[in-house]
Amino acid sequence: MAEPKVATTKVAGTWPWFLQRVSAVLLIVLLATHIIIDHFWQMGAPTSELSVLNIHLRLKELVWIGVDYSMLAVVLFHGLNGTRTVMFDFDCFMKRKKMVDVGLWVLGVAMLVWGIVILLPFING
Amino acid sequence: MKIGDDDLRARTFKWLFGKNSEFWPKNMKTGMWAWIGHRLTGVALVVYVFMHLSFITTASLNHESFDDLMGVTRSPLFVLMDFLLVVVVIYHGMNGLRVILFDAGVGIKKQKLIFWICMAIAAVMVVVGFYALRNNIFMGGG
Repeated sequence: MAEPKVATTKVAGTWPWFLQRVSAVLLIVLLATHIIIDHFWQMGAPTSELSVLNIHLRLKELVWIGVDYSMLAVVLFHGLNGTRTVMFDFDCFMKRKKMVDVGLWVLGVAMLVWGIVILLPFING
Repeated sequence: MKIGDDDLRARTFKWLFGKNSEFWPKNMKTGMWAWIGHRLTGVALVVYVFMHLSFITTASLNHESFDDLMGVTRSPLFVLMDFLLVVVVIYHGMNGLRVILFDAGVGIKKQKLIFWICMAIAAVMVVVGFYALRNNIFMGGG
C-alpha cells in the first residue's frame, strides 16, 4: 500500500472543513426551495414556465430575492472551497496555499458581484 | 520534518498510480468509490454553476433572446441533461450527508450499510425526479 496520506482537514484547515459542512446543509434547504419555487409553483404567473416576465413577477417578493442572492453566495463558497479541497487532496499547489486562497476569494467575490448585477434587470423588469 | 519537493512528488505519484495505489480498482473499496464520486460530481457541479451564471448573463443582456434560449432548454435532449444534473446533485447531496454523519461520529461502525441506505434514498429521489421530468423528456414542451 501507498504511504498513508495526511488527513485533508490538517492540510486544508479546520474552518474551511467546518464551513463546508454548514454551507452543505444550507444548500440542501436553499436548493429544495429554489427548485420548488422556480420550477413548480405558479407564483401568480400565467404558467410555471421560465420566462423573463415570470421571473420578474416572482422577484417582486423580497424574500425570493433574498433566497436567490444567499444561494448564490453559499453555492460559490461551497463550490470554490470544495475545489480547493480537491486540489489539496491531489497535492496540487499545496506549496502555494496562500496564492490559491487569495485567487479563489477574488474569483468568488467577483462571481458574487457579477451574479448580483445580472439579476437586477429581472428585478427591475 | 520538512518534506522535500521530490519526496512529495514521488509519494503523490505512488498514491495516484500503479498496482499499489489506493486508486487501483482492486484496491478500491466502497468508501473510496464514494469519495471519488463525490469529487467528480463536485467538480461537475462547479462547472454547472458557471454555465448557469453565463445563461443568466445572456438573459440579462437581452430579454428577448432569453425567452428563445428557454425555448431551446425545453427540448427533450436538454431536459435529459437536466435529469443528469438531478442525478449528480442527488448523489452529491446524499453522499455529502453520509460524510457529515461520519464526521459527527454517527454510524462509522456501520459505514457500508449507511452508504447503501443513503444510495437507496438517492435512488428513490432520482425516480421522483424522473417522474417530474418524464413529459418533457419524451414529448418536449411541458
